[in-house]
Amino acid sequence: MNIPSVIILCVLTAAVVFAVVSVVRRRRKGGCQGDCGACGGCGGCACHRERQQ
Amino acid sequence: MNLRIALAGNPNVGKTTLFNALTGSNQFIGNWPGVTVEKKEGKLKRYEGITVTDLPGIYSLSPYTPEEVVARNYLTQERPDAILNIVDGTNLERNLYLTTQLTELGIPVVIAVNMMDLLRRNGDRLDTAKLSERLGCRVVEISALRGTGINEAAEAAVEAAQIGQTVPMHTFSGPVEHALAHIEEVTVHHLPPQRQRWYAVKLFERDEQVRKQLNLTPETEQHIEADIAAAEREMDDDAESIITNERYLYIADVLKGCYHKKQTSRMTVSDRIDRVVTNRIAALPIFAAIMFLVYYIAVSTVGTFVTDWTNDGLFGDGWHLFGIGSTAYEEATDAYAEQSLWSDALYQTVYDAAESGIPGASQLLDAVESRDFGAFAEVYGTYGEALAEAGYDLSATVDPVLEGAPDTADFGVWVPGIPVLIGRFLTFVHCAGWLESLILDGIVGGVGAVLGFVPQMLVLFLLLAFLEACGYMARIAFVMDRIFRRFGLSGKSFIPMLIGTGCGVPGIMASRTIENDRDRKMTIMTTTFIACGAKLPIVTLIATALFGGTWWVAPSAYFLGVAAIVISGIILKKTRLFSGDPAPFVMELPAYHLPTVGNLVRSMWERGSSFIRKAGTIILLASVFIWVTSSFGVVDGKFLFDSGMDLENSLLGMVGGVISVLFVPLGFGTVKATVATVMGLVAKEEVVGVFGVLDFESMTRIAAYSFLIFNLLCAPCFAAIGAIRREMNSAKWTWFAIGYQCVFAYVISLIVYQLGMLFSGRGNVPGAVAAFLAAAVLIFLLVRPARARTKRAEVCE
Repeated sequence: MNIPSVIILCVLTAAVVFAVVSVVRRRRKGGCQGDCGACGGCGGCACHRERQQ
Repeated sequence: MNLRIALAGNPNVGKTTLFNALTGSNQFIGNWPGVTVEKKEGKLKRYEGITVTDLPGIYSLSPYTPEEVVARNYLTQERPDAILNIVDGTNLERNLYLTTQLTELGIPVVIAVNMMDLLRRNGDRLDTAKLSERLGCRVVEISALRGTGINEAAEAAVEAAQIGQTVPMHTFSGPVEHALAHIEEVTVHHLPPQRQRWYAVKLFERDEQVRKQLNLTPETEQHIEADIAAAEREMDDDAESIITNERYLYIADVLKGCYHKKQTSRMTVSDRIDRVVTNRIAALPIFAAIMFLVYYIAVSTVGTFVTDWTNDGLFGDGWHLFGIGSTAYEEATDAYAEQSLWSDALYQTVYDAAESGIPGASQLLDAVESRDFGAFAEVYGTYGEALAEAGYDLSATVDPVLEGAPDTADFGVWVPGIPVLIGRFLTFVHCAGWLESLILDGIVGGVGAVLGFVPQMLVLFLLLAFLEACGYMARIAFVMDRIFRRFGLSGKSFIPMLIGTGCGVPGIMASRTIENDRDRKMTIMTTTFIACGAKLPIVTLIATALFGGTWWVAPSAYFLGVAAIVISGIILKKTRLFSGDPAPFVMELPAYHLPTVGNLVRSMWERGSSFIRKAGTIILLASVFIWVTSSFGVVDGKFLFDSGMDLENSLLGMVGGVISVLFVPLGFGTVKATVATVMGLVAKEEVVGVFGVLDFESMTRIAAYSFLIFNLLCAPCFAAIGAIRREMNSAKWTWFAIGYQCVFAYVISLIVYQLGMLFSGRGNVPGAVAAFLAAAVLIFLLVRPARARTKRAEVCE
């Protein structure tokens, strides 16, 4: 594998690690996953309420 | 200066619009009551250290709902420095009911009369100076939507917080005041004078929470009970009704001198629209027509146009800039195809294949008959192999013609697509072959396939945002209540379904507002039947790739969801677990108004952008997973890696092959369709992502529709399953919900596929028997008499 391929692989690995961490963090946080946007981030959803409690 | 100002008012009077204007926030606004159920804070613009709190809309300070509890607790326990009470100018009598209670809290109150423009347009008149004098607090005219009077309201609230004081001007009748004086004396005498009256009134109303909060001794309770009973005897009514009546009498008296309604009998524009859209007979057809139009526009017209460009241009080969060169290219390809492709032999072969019912042959025949080279090349690319396998091999004549076709890049200004640019770059740096395959086939193919549908989602979300913001969706909850009630649900169950069109997770969460446990569980189980935003790409993929953009496919996905809810409601309500009368549903219908462009775009973007974020996380991971598992496998007894491996030999193919047996009766028992369905559990968009990575596999139209039905109705994605688990608070109920959804989806798909095959003359006896049996059971469950709710079932709860 040449150097550009290694660099691309590193960037790709970083992106995958970032994606894993962000998904795991969100799942751990529980309640609203914050990725649907249906509420427009209003904080008025029941899950938000749960988090505040 | 650290001051806190609370925004309080009835639901849907424009509190959040005012909050956004005062603080520069981007909070979600909806033209139906109950959008805000939690308080939100922001900093007042142009002032230092002033916090504005947006409270949920409430009708009174009696805590009947979670929202009222939140608002009341904040006002009585955290005690802001001032209350900016927003009242709807077009509905003063009801709005001032809350005002009379706010003024008793001992907190300075400023009243902002909203919708003054509407009030004037109706020909009504309001003397705010006189109203201010009578209520004992400052009154400011505003229009939150147009942004008029906002600064004055903010200034007045800040001033009131610094130096203001509001003394309630209202006095109850003699016996009540007598009782209140006694109550104040024995219970809240230790509190500051301005706070005593509110507590006394609440104790008079026998408010349980206030009684607990004050920790009254039994003797004191007995004492005040005697005072309340004496007032009740004298007034010949119960304490709560006495207070309510007297408040309304007082409001009527206040308004008599300062509010003039032009014509009480005249119908407003909203009333006139409602006469049509909530009409007993016409309401449902109108709703069906509107939703049909929404999905038709989003998926089949505007959305398709933009999505075609995104899929074929941006995430495809490329596009002609501003269309420069497209016409010349089309003319060149038409001439080329006329000369080298179209022939009687080709027509005959395709015709025979179509007659034999080979997948894709009828679409290919359409392309040949219309002499559409582009459509022919696209359909042939998808179904060419299937035709060859069925004995209609066209490769000898077609492949050389396609290879020698004019190049798009030779005409006009050609902009290459993202995969082309990335491919060129990877070739330029001599990237390793497997890595190139991972990036282009795995990531760009998978993520690009999902991102390609974002424009359609945005169009859909924009249209839905318009329906929500103008006030129509609130009517639909009212209209649906009539229908839902017939099978045991109330209109309250429609709100989660309405929210579920964006995403199932908040839809499931929104079911918390349903007090009745049975109805709540049933709503949770059925909410995800509605096609959420993530399912839209599946609908579009099937509608365009297999049905050639046929008009009815996309709207049918929405109505399928509604029908599934109705059918499930009828079936489940007849079981012992869910039987019982639906809870009453009360909802105020807001006045229609034209939403602002800013609000519509904000709402559309908030919903749509999350799908783009998701593409960078879950979809990216799923695409890499699929590429890896489809590149490792066993060939000739050896475990090896090959990015071009046959799917059947790969790990993914082997696992998919085992599961695919389950889907054979539904018509899509192939490895690719199975993998897509299973990956749909990660995120529903991934169904499309799988086809992006693994190439689309040929299916008959009936099988494709069966695939669509199953994926729309089966268990939702993991995020939504997690939400079901949290809301049900029981593993048993969660499994029951998932099991029910999967079985229901399976049965409906089976019936549609097997009967579809039977009626198109390609059915088989075992399949048809199974479908008729399933249909018979379904009909029996629908029409059988409802089970009476037994005592045992009630005890079980």
